[in-house]
Amino acid sequence: MAKPAVVLVGADKGGVGKTTVSRALLDYFIAHDISTRAFDTEAPKGTLRRFHPNVSEVVDITTATDQMKIFDTLANTTAQVTVIDVRAGLLSTTLRALRDIGFLEAVKKNQISFTVFHILGPSIASLSEIDDTAPFMDDAHYILVRNFINSTTFFEWDPATYNSYFKKIKDAHDITVPKLNEMACEQVEVASVPYVSFIANKGASGQAASFSFVLRGYVRHWLGNVWAEFDRVKLIDLVAAEQPRKGAARQAETKAAG
Amino acid sequence: MQRRTPIFIVTSSRPRVGKTLIARALVEYFCAQSRPVAGYDVNPDEFTLLEYLPSYTAAASLRDTQGEMTLFDALIMPDEVPKVVDLAHNQLDRFFRVMQEVNFVVEARRRAIMPIVLFLADADDRARRGYAMLGDRFPNCTLVAVLNEAVPQIERYRKFFPPSPRGGAAVSIPALTAVLRSIVDRPRFSFLDYAAKVTDTTAELYTWIRCVFLTFRAIELRAVLDDVHPELRQSA
Repeated sequence: MAKPAVVLVGADKGGVGKTTVSRALLDYFIAHDISTRAFDTEAPKGTLRRFHPNVSEVVDITTATDQMKIFDTLANTTAQVTVIDVRAGLLSTTLRALRDIGFLEAVKKNQISFTVFHILGPSIASLSEIDDTAPFMDDAHYILVRNFINSTTFFEWDPATYNSYFKKIKDAHDITVPKLNEMACEQVEVASVPYVSFIANKGASGQAASFSFVLRGYVRHWLGNVWAEFDRVKLIDLVAAEQPRKGAARQAETKAAG
Repeated sequence: MQRRTPIFIVTSSRPRVGKTLIARALVEYFCAQSRPVAGYDVNPDEFTLLEYLPSYTAAASLRDTQGEMTLFDALIMPDEVPKVVDLAHNQLDRFFRVMQEVNFVVEARRRAIMPIVLFLADADDRARRGYAMLGDRFPNCTLVAVLNEAVPQIERYRKFFPPSPRGGAAVSIPALTAVLRSIVDRPRFSFLDYAAKVTDTTAELYTWIRCVFLTFRAIELRAVLDDVHPELRQSA
């Protein structure tokens, strides 16, 4: 089996559609037959858990007991991928905690694959978050997500500013989550089912549902685009394949610089 | 074999080329064969089809998602009722954008529904581009250009509406003389009522109706043959 993979989904700010990305990720891994478990840190209510009750557990990532629950089990869980939906504002804190418990060290030693999806909101302020997270990203796969799902306007970013931030992290990828029709978005929320179930017109326990064909079409189209972005950054390779880590790339780079 | 249900989408890139006339004749074409039919009038300004055929037609709107749902959820219903959509030129982009985004053609095929687009041609370059765009974006949809001879010198522009892979060559609809046009444009005029009453079957309007209905039948046949056996289309 490939080494265990941890996928962190976070943002320093609330309301940027973080859980949307987690849900699309869970659907993606499940569709690719990758065994997956998820931790929802929105304690106590747990938004992610509402959509994916079978694979999600609600935890409080700031406590040592729950950190143990997540990270001490990595070696012996049957799940290949562990997705952690980090509550708004806790991304930097969580990364710091991961360093303190030696998790980042294990990543460096190539024992664990570590991927971070950093969801960015549509304001220029959120770019400064990259400064806070960058120091922890040396050995992680860092994926910046420009999330348009709820937004009606384009990002008010100047591409030059964005690129200067983006370059602060070596080998960072960026993906774009397109806008989803509001009504479709709302109906999936109301139905409380994974996107894939909504598209297949199935309710929470697999029973036939009667969602609108048009809305299902919108969701299918949207999810297809999001998955194409995951494909583009070769997400499956990042989490499920044995492969030389970025160490090699970094060495090459150091050499080039010297 | 399950009988396939046609959905005719009658549209154009320009106004006043005979869209609603064709849509009216289509609805009555189904009535003439005692087949069920449902018409959808997608015009933001005035519902002409609805005025002529109120008992068969519903007004539809693409103004918001709710409207899109109402229309497309009805169109995709596997109820075996043929449907006729009178689609205003200024609603064309929106209609086909939704159609593409929700993957309508694939889902329709799965439900034994055949979407057939009748594109009313005219001399304007927008019509040529609109027709080409539909052919590009919906290669699996039956697309037929309709040359309405009431549009001045339309035959000259036939070359701008080449045969589509599904649907085949453009069809021509004879022009109605001004007098006949004023008759069929009367409120509540019905082609079927007229045909039932007429005694002289060589009368111009009667001939027109027969010609148009035969054209519709040929198009329906093309669509069925395309579905079953694409090579057979040549003979239709």
